[in-house]
Amino acid sequence: MSFLELKDVDVSFGPPSNRVDILKDINLSVEENEFVAIIGFSGSGKSTLMNLLSGLQLPSNGSSSFKGKAIKEPGPELGIMFQNYSLLPWLSVGDNVKLAIDRVFPKLSKTEVHEKMLHYVKMVKLDHAVDKKPHELSGGMRQRASLSRTLSLDPEVLLLDEPLSALDALTRSELQDQILNIWESDKRTVVMITNDVDEAVLMADRIVPLTMGPGATLSKEFVVNMPRPRNRHTLNDEPEFMRLKSEITAFMLGLNKESKEMKSDIKVAMPDVQPRDFSLPIAAPRFSHLQSKHISPNAN
Amino acid sequence: MLTLISTIIIMKKIKYSLLKAIDITGLTFLAPVVRLCYGEEPQVQFKKIGQWIIVPLIAVFIALFVIYDGFIVDTFKTKSGKLPTSSKIYSSYKSIDQLHDDEIAKEKAYNLSGEERVEELKVVEEKITSAEKSLEEASKAVEDQTLVSKAETAKDVAPIQAEYDELKESVKAASAARDVEMKLLAESITPGDEAAAQKLLGLVRADDAQDTLDKEKRNLTKEKINLILTKKSPALQKRKAEETYFSERLAFLKTYKTLLSTQNKSLIIDEKKEKIATYEKELASLSGADALKKAKSIVNQESVISKKEESEYAGSKTIWYQVKRSVLCVFTGFFLGSFLAIPIGIFCGLNKTFMAMMTPFIAIFKPVSPIVWLPIILILVMGAFPNPDKHPFMEFLGELPLLGVYKINPAFIASAITVALCSLWATMANTALGVASIDKDHMNVARVLKLGFFARLTKIIIPSSLPLIFAGLRISLGVGWMVLIAAELLSSSEGIGKFVFDEFNNGSSDSLAKMVVVVFIVGIIGLILDRIMVIFQRLVSFEGAPATI
Repeated sequence: MSFLELKDVDVSFGPPSNRVDILKDINLSVEENEFVAIIGFSGSGKSTLMNLLSGLQLPSNGSSSFKGKAIKEPGPELGIMFQNYSLLPWLSVGDNVKLAIDRVFPKLSKTEVHEKMLHYVKMVKLDHAVDKKPHELSGGMRQRASLSRTLSLDPEVLLLDEPLSALDALTRSELQDQILNIWESDKRTVVMITNDVDEAVLMADRIVPLTMGPGATLSKEFVVNMPRPRNRHTLNDEPEFMRLKSEITAFMLGLNKESKEMKSDIKVAMPDVQPRDFSLPIAAPRFSHLQSKHISPNAN
Repeated sequence: MLTLISTIIIMKKIKYSLLKAIDITGLTFLAPVVRLCYGEEPQVQFKKIGQWIIVPLIAVFIALFVIYDGFIVDTFKTKSGKLPTSSKIYSSYKSIDQLHDDEIAKEKAYNLSGEERVEELKVVEEKITSAEKSLEEASKAVEDQTLVSKAETAKDVAPIQAEYDELKESVKAASAARDVEMKLLAESITPGDEAAAQKLLGLVRADDAQDTLDKEKRNLTKEKINLILTKKSPALQKRKAEETYFSERLAFLKTYKTLLSTQNKSLIIDEKKEKIATYEKELASLSGADALKKAKSIVNQESVISKKEESEYAGSKTIWYQVKRSVLCVFTGFFLGSFLAIPIGIFCGLNKTFMAMMTPFIAIFKPVSPIVWLPIILILVMGAFPNPDKHPFMEFLGELPLLGVYKINPAFIASAITVALCSLWATMANTALGVASIDKDHMNVARVLKLGFFARLTKIIIPSSLPLIFAGLRISLGVGWMVLIAAELLSSSEGIGKFVFDEFNNGSSDSLAKMVVVVFIVGIIGLILDRIMVIFQRLVSFEGAPATI
């Protein structure tokens, strides 16, 4: 029995007459102190998978279990970090973290709570913004505040739902390092969802791709056998990194192609439109953004 | 150098806190003034000041002095004359305000004692002599002006009167001539001569028509004369207004004097005490039934003294007292309504079944007018306090430190409950909406943190729906303020509504002007209440909070 496990799980929505399967036959087992990355395209049901693991959603069929017990409701031991921060906008960063600490450690005194809050806020290097409201922060700072709140729950499993998707490349790499540092100094189980292959290879022990939805399922996993700590600057020279990256990328692209082929039997009737004149108008407006959306039939 | 820099920094800080305060209170038209004071883009600021301060002022000016004073006042007539002009409305405001000051002075005079009272009495006597003198002068001025005006009117009337007389004479003469003609014709007719008879009939008809025509002509001229006679000379009216003012002042001073002398509290008590002293002396020399009688009258006098000592000056209620009582009443009703509406709204938002349960009540009671609620509630409240003066709850309210002066009675309570019943719906609906539309992510946070019901309520649900709750409270207070005036008018609970009703019943020449003054007072207080709620609403709002209106 593994630490965190999904067994033959299906998730479907809608009325019985018109049921849509989001996830199908999901089998995942995560060992203690393992860092697992789940990689998939947007819209494939990654967030639903995360909700399953955190207990926010229950499977339609199959079972989800944590430490051998079925997951019936969410709780602080399964610390989820939401994709869209979910910071309470009327509370400052410090108060957001304190709210979590108050729940998990109800017996602490006020000063102890404050100290603990500072500890977690410092962990994500946000101590200068303790008294700021979420709307006064940048996206990256909000993401870090959210991480700090999740860490303050002292969860046994850290569930990160695309924690870095909304960030620019620089902030992203900085936060990746921070998460890795925290994980390495204070080992615990992590399940991270991402859509970035580099990120997955850099951070995870194991990478599990999620196929395209609807009816998405987990496909064959990739084990990352690279020594830690991994250095992002020298990573590009490591053949193992390059191999994994290209293999996973190829696999994912294959998935994408496969799904397109599945859809290609649906032919959309295109209007028979022919240009009358190829010469450019005097002040030619640019329609490139429109073209990519409407004219090429196989885009997306 | 250093002080200069620090002053600049402080000035900048003041600027930003000023601008922030302006933003929170929603008085955005003041922002360009502040910016201009700091010399920030003068051209832009001047444009904004023109747009948001000068244009509205011009609009008010045109509406008030051009359209209202120029056209509307002359077009509409009431029983007691023309509509009040803006200057008359202002002077009515002054007189209402003066009445308030007078009442305060009277109350002070009533409670004055000892040396101070004697001093004040002297001052007042001097004032009375001078006021009498002014009144006399004013009366004389009125008399003089009356003569002058009469002469002027006579001068104006004379030519028309002459014209009228002439017309009358000529008409009389013509009529006599026609009479003679008709008589002659009538005498010359031989019986059976149809043509001649017809001619006579024609003549009589023509005569009658001519008579009517002449009469109309005469009346027209007469009307012209009457118009001049009834026209009030503005100079005379001004003198008369002055006379009224002085006579009112004199009347006030005289009442003031009686309050300092014969009706003064301490003076009356002293008198009674003296009386008791003489009675006590007399008692010593009496015996039997006489002694008993004396003793009884001493005790009687003593009880009169103790009552008098507790008594307060009972003057008429002035506008500012009524305004304060109305504001107290509206807040009483508003808080009463909110205490019901917010919890019910929260449960409606949380629980669909509860919402379904409440829907029929909300749907049916929401559109009910305050005019319907009030009599029902008045009856219920009066039933609850059959003898309000002796009821312990009323006595308790009467002895409250700050509220005691407002003499809370069943009419006040009924008005407040009516306000509550009419205003709670907006808060209830907004609270339900706010609670029902909480961000799902925030509820997920609550689930992950395993917050209990109470913690969920205080940490997530209420803070998240506060902006909408306050939006509802703002609407409720506005509705309540409108409802209150009607409720006070109906229940004759002392307040602005009662003031309006009293003026309506009073029907004196300046009643209408006083009611118009009330329009502005009610409007301005409503505006202030709304601004207060806007400030609260902004203070509890957060980025991305749901909002209405």
